Order: sequence, then structure tokens, then C-alpha cells
Amino acid sequence: MRLLACTLTLATGLAWSATVASATQPVTAWYMYGSSGSDLKSYAYAHGCDFAQAEPGTGMRVLLLDFGAARKLDSSTWGAVDFSNTRFSNADILSALERAADGYHNCHVRGSVDIAYGNSNYHLSGSGMSSTDAWWAGFHQSERSEDLADYQSSKGYTSQTSDAASDMEPSWESPSVTKQLVSGDQAQGWALYYDFGSADGCPQSGNADGACNNGWHVSDVGYVSYAALALPLPEIYYTANANQWTVVRKWWNANAQGTYFFLGVTASTGVGLTPTASWAALNSLNNGLVESELACFGC
Amino acid sequence: MFRLLSVRVAAATLVGVAAGAGGGFALAGSISSPAQKAAALNRLAAVATTDSSTTPAPAPASAPQPIPAQMLGADVPVPIAPSILRERNGWLVSDGKTLLAVYAGAAGNDPSVGRVVIVSQNVAAGKQTVRAIDAGSTGELTITAAPLGRAAEASAQTGSLRLRTAGGHFLTLDLGTGRISREPHGAPLP
Repeated sequence: MRLLACTLTLATGLAWSATVASATQPVTAWYMYGSSGSDLKSYAYAHGCDFAQAEPGTGMRVLLLDFGAARKLDSSTWGAVDFSNTRFSNADILSALERAADGYHNCHVRGSVDIAYGNSNYHLSGSGMSSTDAWWAGFHQSERSEDLADYQSSKGYTSQTSDAASDMEPSWESPSVTKQLVSGDQAQGWALYYDFGSADGCPQSGNADGACNNGWHVSDVGYVSYAALALPLPEIYYTANANQWTVVRKWWNANAQGTYFFLGVTASTGVGLTPTASWAALNSLNNGLVESELACFGC
Repeated sequence: MFRLLSVRVAAATLVGVAAGAGGGFALAGSISSPAQKAAALNRLAAVATTDSSTTPAPAPASAPQPIPAQMLGADVPVPIAPSILRERNGWLVSDGKTLLAVYAGAAGNDPSVGRVVIVSQNVAAGKQTVRAIDAGSTGELTITAAPLGRAAEASAQTGSLRLRTAGGHFLTLDLGTGRISREPHGAPLP
């Protein structure tokens, strides 16, 4: 009961910390490119500073840095291959995340930030990774997020915390291997695991465990987006995406424990729905179950 | 963010307390309870809006280096979702300040429509843009010729790429204007 009382106290304190006016204003999420660890750190520092300067409102927002596809680099080293085809170890990525924290601190104006170590399930098995390797990738991703939190704490960056994220796309990898990212994260135990991927090919109506792309089912998308420490921050680029994720939510509520809710949405510019329309599309179908985060690639 | 998160935190904790008293978090199948999220959600709720330290952190010692213009093969991760682009290949260049990446293929929801997606980053300005350009009913597009190497690090960003359609015709993507046209220098496609 002490925990409950404490939580309710925290809840009361937080409940209205973010203004409605800022609730659905997009914040920039970044695709990470770089030819060296030094580049990665420089870009991350700049992104952290830019994010802080542009942060709307006084609530917490997610700074999502997408480092590319999760990879096993050698027998004992995990990391990612970024969008310029450069392989980075988790040590490199942690250094970059720390620079993002520095940048946010130096440029902080208002509010708070959750810096997320993002990767993807792009061709994990195609790169030679086994299910066990994927599990370790999720485990170490969470571990590095916790390392970042330790860094933030040691530096007095009390407006910051850290978590993990993954662009889990059914078309890119099998469900069995992808699920191991979430399971590994859960086993390590620190990081919330934001799923900023899709429900590609899933049904757009009903609440059944229908088929999606690449052998996935609605239940698989439910697992990677809401099981354990996972939370959905789904890509909503078209109204069809909002329909698909609504099916995922309905399936979960009909078949699993707890009320499925969305942390918000991931949006983009230059294609389909505008970021604000993306959030509205999902919220219109799941009223009261969509938090206000609006991470945007291209904003 | 998180206007409603307070409610989730309380709800998740309540489930956790109840399930804890009842002896577990097991769900149907192997799916775990959202109560497992309670501690992490509580962590988010406890983050302050100011830093206890006012000491500035050192800025990075070096600026990003250019990335020579290069083709990106099928084994290189793509940031663009399959719902937007069924990617064939890509191309990338950076002069250390601005970065341009072009991904070619077909529209995610209609493989008969040729599409390129351009990701542009300006680090100094803190801007990133993502732009999709459709070529019409060309089928999937493939980048077949592009500036390559260190010599093209700066000039390539306003140059052009040659694209091949599924039917074997050739198009030109003008990176300066973002327009696709038929070769040789024909009228822009609808």
C-alpha cells in the first residue's frame, strides 16, 4: 500500500505537468549516420542540443535516436550498423548517447527528456544473427540505456532519463527472432522498449489474430509492442496504419491482461498524413488510450 | 507528454500489487503483464524539469567528417518504413554539415508506383527532412548511376541521379529541385 500511495502522490504531481497546448506538438527523431564514432558523438551532441532548444511545453518528451539495425559485431560485441553502413559497437553508441545527454543539458530550456537508444529488426537473421543473438541484442540495448541513466545521474542531469526503442517492422524479420529483442530487454530489466515500428499487412478491422506480413500475426505485433517493458509508439503514416494498430489494441484487450495504451505515435513528413493528423487518426479510434508523444522523423 | 501517464502508472501499479498478492503476473500464453512496466513508468514520473547541476558539459572536440558519395546496397539498413517504400537501393553523401540520402523503389502501398524518398539532414540548423517523390506508374525504381567518391562530397548534393524503371526506361532525379524527369531532359512526369 505504501507503493500505491507513493505512486498516487507521484501521479498527482505529474498529471498536469504538461499543458494540453503542447501535447501533440511534434519533436524531432533522428536517423543516425556517421563514418566514425567521433562523428556519431558530434551528431548526437547537436541533436540533444537542438532537441532541448525546440522542446515544446514543460512535460517529458522522447528524444529518439535511431542507430540502425541491431547487429552482433563479433563473438562478444553487440551494436548496430547505421544508415551509412558503418558498424558501431554499443560502446560507441553509449558514448554518442552520453553526448546527446550533454547537448540536452547545455541547451536545456524547459521540460524533461527520455533519451531512447533506438535500433531496428532489419534483416537480423540475414546478417547471421540467431534468436539467442537477438535476445542478447535486446539485453545489451537495455544495459546501455541503464548505463546512460547512470551517466545522467552522475552528471546531475536530473531532467533526463533513458530508455530503449526499436523500429520493429514485420517485413524486415520473422516474429520469432524479433520478439527476442523485447525478451532480452525484459531480462535486463531497465529500459522501457518503445516500438516505433509498424503492423504491416495486419487486418484493418476486427480484433482477431489475423495474419500480417512475413508470417506475423496480430498477436506478434501485440507482443513486441506491449509485452513486458514494451510500449507502442507506432508509425502512423496513413489512416490504414491507425486501423491496423487499433486491431492490435483490441486483440490485446480481448486476449491478454491489462489495458493496452499507446505512448503516442511516430510520424513523418513528406508522405501521407501530417504528424498532427497521424496522432489524431490513432486517437480518433482509441480515444483516451493514446498518450501525447509525437515523435517525428522529418520535423 | 504523458498527460494520462499518471493514470497508467497508478493502474499498472495497482495491477502489480494485486497480481503480486495473488502470486504472479502470468497472462494468457507467454505474454507478460503490463504491471512489469510499473517501475519504469514510475521512474519517468519522477524525472525533474531542472538539472541539479548547472555546470556546462564540454562540447565534442571535433566536427563530423564528410562521407564520400556511395551507393547503399540491399544489406544496408533503410530508415524508411516498408509501408512507405519498398526499397531497391540507395545513395548517400555528406559534406560533414549537410547529409543527403536517397532511397529508390516503389510505393509501399502500390508497387506499380515508382518512388524515391530523400532524407536530408542539416546539422548546423538542426533540421531533418523526409520527402517522398513519386514517378507515376513506372514500377519500382533503381538508382543506376550517381556521383561517387570524395570528389563528390559537396557537389553531389545538387547533382542528379539516374534511375531505371521496372520496364527498363531511364529517368533523372534532379537533387537540387527534387524533380524526376524522363531522359533526355524531357518534361517532368505527372
